[in-house]
Amino acid sequence: MYRSQRLALRYFTAAIALFGVMVVAGLLSAVYYLQPSLLYNVFDFQMAKILHINTLVIWLLMGFIGAVYWFLPKELGREVVGIRLAEVLFYVFVAAVLVVAAVFVVVQTGKSNQFSMWFINQGRKYVEAPRWAAAGIVVVVLTFVYNVTATAWQARKMTGILWVLILDLIPLSVLYLDAFPQMTNMSQDLYWWWWLVHMWVEATWEVLIGCLMAWTLMELMGTPRRVVEAWLYIEVMLVLGTGILGLGHHYFWIGTPQYWLGIGGFFSALEPLPLLGMVVHAIYDAGTHHMKTSNRPAFYWVLAEAFGNFIGAGVWGFMMTLPQINLYSHGTQWTVSHGHFAFWGAYGCGVIAIVYLVLQQTRKATEFGGQSWKWGFGLLNVGLLGMVGGLLVAGIVQAMYERAQGGSTLQAFVVASENHWFQSGMYARLVFGALFAVGYAVLVYDLLRIGRRVSAAAPAQLSTA
Amino acid sequence: MSETALAVTAALLGLFVLAGGAYGLIYGAGMLRSSLLMRRTAVACYVSQLLVAALVCLLSPLSTAWKVFLVCSAVAYGFIPPLMWRLLESMHRQPTRSS
Repeated sequence: MYRSQRLALRYFTAAIALFGVMVVAGLLSAVYYLQPSLLYNVFDFQMAKILHINTLVIWLLMGFIGAVYWFLPKELGREVVGIRLAEVLFYVFVAAVLVVAAVFVVVQTGKSNQFSMWFINQGRKYVEAPRWAAAGIVVVVLTFVYNVTATAWQARKMTGILWVLILDLIPLSVLYLDAFPQMTNMSQDLYWWWWLVHMWVEATWEVLIGCLMAWTLMELMGTPRRVVEAWLYIEVMLVLGTGILGLGHHYFWIGTPQYWLGIGGFFSALEPLPLLGMVVHAIYDAGTHHMKTSNRPAFYWVLAEAFGNFIGAGVWGFMMTLPQINLYSHGTQWTVSHGHFAFWGAYGCGVIAIVYLVLQQTRKATEFGGQSWKWGFGLLNVGLLGMVGGLLVAGIVQAMYERAQGGSTLQAFVVASENHWFQSGMYARLVFGALFAVGYAVLVYDLLRIGRRVSAAAPAQLSTA
Repeated sequence: MSETALAVTAALLGLFVLAGGAYGLIYGAGMLRSSLLMRRTAVACYVSQLLVAALVCLLSPLSTAWKVFLVCSAVAYGFIPPLMWRLLESMHRQPTRSS
């Protein structure tokens, strides 16, 4: 095994651990909606939410980085250049995450000054990490870019997937710099902030997961390289074609020019079309392999990725993306429902699939299966469906009664929050969130055990034979 | 937009894409199994998608431009699964070059 692949395993371990922190913080956030006075002035809602959404970003990012460190040496047939630096920075990255989490839990807030911005909280959603940590993330990402490009350069080899990956890493790292400017005009600040959040999620991350899925499909199903590369080019073209200007669907209520609403609505309404193509592709691949594979968990998580992406991003997104709907739905639990479903479908399932694929290879198991992965798969997906269903109901109530009927006043907010459908939706979210948490525990149990008994038994069988 | 129109329009838009997805899914399954019944079901899903588009045009207060867009989009949905299928078949048919 290459050193970078051992590093990949460490990244996956950290990613799965952070996934757990995200689940716990999410459950706590769900409780606050029903018990707003819970831990009042001790650990308020906003801190649980910050932990929830920041660990979401970091666990997925760690999963992606780990996956690239796993596949890269196999792709190029050599060790990753600068691996020692990458190893050191992994520990720096983990230590920084722990320190930031500790500050969020213990210190929480500070005065509105430069010190708070540098050492406590930047105060911008998804990029709350204090400035020193944000600078650290830039260093980690730049090292990662260096590792990938320098390895390809030294290997004197370039594949289609690598081209796409390297080109994608440029905007991935540049866009994060959007976390730094200090703008006092809130409209300008949010305008650029969305470039970071939207472009990462609906452009650069989509391309990155596309590259990772291309490698995954080649290893999992033996799909020929030219097929996955051709598909990758098509996907990149369509995703970027619709995703970049789809940015406008976020530009509500922040003072941006009105033309953005039409542009955003138009391009984001086109986004389900490439996703439909992805569904057809998933059916084709699954069918040509007669649903047979030596790694059923990875295979099913790949399928969940394709369908989850279509339904979460496509169906849930299209319900509310046209400007006349978005005007009312924006910022309600409806968008939370869409966000949960789309993140899970597009990225969460993909990272879990890769972890299963990698574990089969590290544990040298010829067959990967059993029962517990099915429980993990079922509980996580049913839990998520229940959560997004509950949030959808709650969000529609908000859009109807708080926005369309009540005109977005404080009184209307209170009325909508007390509506029994809203309350039921939030209870459903909590119950299914708990189910999701159980699913997470089963997933971890399975990841720790799967393949071990088989690989332990295999030498014994061989010696008996 | 009234609260009822909002909920109805959003539900129809969701159904629109869901029907399109069902069309793609069942079309693919029908092609794999060479099942005429499944392909007919897929066509039924597509027809239901067209009907949903028509309902949006008739019932929702969306502006005309969005209704036109939706109709054009519905037509595009009709072509995507068969075209994708042909593309995938042709990609898989080509001999693998040594790499």
